[in-house]
Amino acid sequence: MNRRFDVHLLGWLLLLTAAFLVVPLVAAVAFRDAPGPFLSALLLAALAGGGLVFLTRTSERGLRARDGFLVVSGAWLITSAVGALPYLLGGVLGPADALFESVSGFTTTGSTVIADVTALPRSLLLWRAMTQWLGGMGIILFTIAILPLLGIGGMQLFKAEVPGPVADKIRPRLAATARTLWGLYVGFTAAQWVLLMLCGLNWFEALCHAFTTLATGGFSTRNGSVGEFASPAVEWVVIVFMLAAGINFVLHYKLLTGRWRDVLRDVELRYFLAIVTAAAALLFVVLWDGVAGMHETARAALFQAASIITTTGFVSADFELWPHAAQFVLVALMLIGGMSGSTGGGPKSLRIVLALRSLRATVHRFIHPHAVVPVKYHGQVVGDGVLSGVAAFLTAYFLLAGAAAAVVAAAGYDFATAVSSALTAIGNVGPGLGAVGALDNFAHFPSPVKLVLSACMLLGRLEIFTILVLFSRRFWKH
Amino acid sequence: MRALVVGGGLVGSTLAARLSRDQHDVVIVESDRERLQGLAEDLDVQVVSGNGTSVEVLRSAGIGECDALFACTASDEANMVVALVGSALFKVPRVVARLRDRDHEASFRAIAQRLTGEHVCINPDQAAVEKIMSLLPVPGATDVVSFLDGRLIIAGFPIPAGSDFEGLLLSHLRLLFPSPPVLAVAIRRGDHSFVPHGEDEFHAGDLAYFAVDPQELDNVLRLLGVRRSSEERVMIAGASRIGLEVAHRLEAANVAVTLFEDDVGVAEEAAAQLKRTVVVRALATDRDVLEEEGIERAAAFVACTDDSSLNVMAGLLARRLGAARAFSLVDNPALTRMVGELGIDAVVSPRLLTVGLAVQFVRRGRVRAAAALMEDLVELVEIEVESGSRLVGPRLAELGLPRGTLVAALLRGKSLIVPVGGDRILVGDRALLITTTSRAGELDAFVGGQ
Repeated sequence: MNRRFDVHLLGWLLLLTAAFLVVPLVAAVAFRDAPGPFLSALLLAALAGGGLVFLTRTSERGLRARDGFLVVSGAWLITSAVGALPYLLGGVLGPADALFESVSGFTTTGSTVIADVTALPRSLLLWRAMTQWLGGMGIILFTIAILPLLGIGGMQLFKAEVPGPVADKIRPRLAATARTLWGLYVGFTAAQWVLLMLCGLNWFEALCHAFTTLATGGFSTRNGSVGEFASPAVEWVVIVFMLAAGINFVLHYKLLTGRWRDVLRDVELRYFLAIVTAAAALLFVVLWDGVAGMHETARAALFQAASIITTTGFVSADFELWPHAAQFVLVALMLIGGMSGSTGGGPKSLRIVLALRSLRATVHRFIHPHAVVPVKYHGQVVGDGVLSGVAAFLTAYFLLAGAAAAVVAAAGYDFATAVSSALTAIGNVGPGLGAVGALDNFAHFPSPVKLVLSACMLLGRLEIFTILVLFSRRFWKH
Repeated sequence: MRALVVGGGLVGSTLAARLSRDQHDVVIVESDRERLQGLAEDLDVQVVSGNGTSVEVLRSAGIGECDALFACTASDEANMVVALVGSALFKVPRVVARLRDRDHEASFRAIAQRLTGEHVCINPDQAAVEKIMSLLPVPGATDVVSFLDGRLIIAGFPIPAGSDFEGLLLSHLRLLFPSPPVLAVAIRRGDHSFVPHGEDEFHAGDLAYFAVDPQELDNVLRLLGVRRSSEERVMIAGASRIGLEVAHRLEAANVAVTLFEDDVGVAEEAAAQLKRTVVVRALATDRDVLEEEGIERAAAFVACTDDSSLNVMAGLLARRLGAARAFSLVDNPALTRMVGELGIDAVVSPRLLTVGLAVQFVRRGRVRAAAALMEDLVELVEIEVESGSRLVGPRLAELGLPRGTLVAALLRGKSLIVPVGGDRILVGDRALLITTTSRAGELDAFVGGQ
């Protein structure tokens, strides 16, 4: 490992985070909020970052796979910690709450400990939405896009941050790949911003919601989330952009470069869209009572299905009041998540597809003990390495969710609250059921539970292994 | 520039690494998944899995937009298909095919003539033969490259302790060799390589590259304490394609040759082809046979069997037994770096030579010849100065060349000029520029920006 250079990179990341803080600082001045918390956070991050970069300026460049895990995990921890400072210094939240809110932001989870968000200064709301937006496409990817010092070895970082079992470049150069992905992301965000304004939202709320939709984050500027706007147009715009954000950005790139045939043939996309459609249809069947408007019910069903499968976590109706069958559908969607290479969380639909196919192959082998049964994806045999990676990921995912649920239950919560809060944290979804339902918040949890859930969010966002390897003793032995 | 490299073996991966480092966008097509995985992790390139001879795969790798195509799989036939598909179907402007077989090369050239775009075939064996043939006449040299129609050679020599060069200021070279001057163009000291300037001095143990007029060579050799061997016999181990070709060339130059070959059939075939060469059936590391054949009187021993490790062993043994020089053919990059320190005089790597030739080809058309020294750390470029070039006009000192770049020599008409800061470059000159490889891109931009 090249620890000196690792520290050097983390120093740069601190500087970058400090640069991000300029935005809410300017906003605070413009909105006449108190700029103090942002200024102090910015100076702290800049000084610490500058110091680290300076002290390690002579380090040799180059990263190995292990450095990738260390840098990416470290970067997310550091950024989350800095992101918590404005809440803390502004006196809005205590330490554990501030960290929870910040981690929930950067990991695009969207669970909140703030009961009344409308009471927050607007600059802080902007920062809250911005943390999600930055975390959505990824801070490391952003760094790769703008800082040239990651040329070689950047692939290690890229792989450690990009969600999904395989990370592919869409351009020959990593920096160009990162710039293209961020470019698409910015483009989508701008488009949604404009559309939301056309739907009647003011520029500030439109921007905040565009930020948190594309990131599949789910923070809102209203206590009642998107539902509070009571605008079908807004909901339709949000539905479309949530789904877009839950789709692999490589497919968006292919679509834009005219390779729509590849997009149509994409197996994961077909599964993803089929699941969304089926879930929305199921919800519709369960929810429709023949009294409420058909369009109303259909929209509510599609909105919630899209919101949960893409792990955005926006709410347009209080699903706490829905029948159990409907709530079950939502929990099932949490267990699938967005597509690989999207900004969505969860186990990712590609892993589910591969797991199902390898299940089918295993059954087939039981029936024909001597048959050669490869698992195929897009007509090509999937290597055992990928398949065992998927199996290991799913195992770790559910073990972790079980452990987190046990911690919540130990704190005295009911089964639905415990399981759903664990799944919503690790899947980066946002709301859960029971005490953390659609219109509840997470403030009532004791601090240790908040820290455990924060850890789950980070593990979920970095797809477990990036962080998990740091806990292996072998990792630290040269 | 966007480059497509088909085949991710040693040549393909080294080439991709070079191109990527020179700020080109590189896509590699390779069918071996594991190898592909390694490439994706080690290099900043895009990898495409699949068979490079398939049009569909090439298309998905973006052959339509690429500016240069390199066909360097292990198979000649596949390389021909890839190169021709790229040329004929996709109109790739520059195509390089790695072909080992002479007949394939001839057929490829014949077809390529009818196609648009530039084509070149690179034969690794041929490149190795050329390298060996340029090394042989310069005793003591570890590397030799010739430029400006052979009017100037760049040769690397180790600076021996106690020689006249030890402690010599570079600017004093001009006093030793007033006309035509000798210039030191690059020095490797330990792990550090640099393009030196006047205030640097030679240390014992340096590997110094001199730009020398071939007529002045004997004077340089004298000062280095290198004596031309009175014997002329060259011994070759291994009747490989390279071994045979070197033997043929030496025969043509009236040099006595002894060729060692272990395999009966191959040895008999070699004996049948060659005229005066003594073909000996023995392993290259057979000490008794080497002594029997008079290895201690050999001017040079060239180990070019197909086995790199054997070549290293044979070369070391030959030196131990008294051969004046030993060259070994080594393709394994890990070995290449080590062997020089062991006592082999020069290491010839067909694959690295191939990469060097391929990279030169994609550089701008103005570049007439180029070469890389010291594992690619220093680069030499020969260009023809056209009107409007940024090189023309100001004095050299005021030209604003990228740092670490040196104008080593100018060929003006028939006269060879080693310029100083006050000289100017004129239109029609041929200039030899030297730069550290990390700056090669800057130099390209400078020379190209007209």
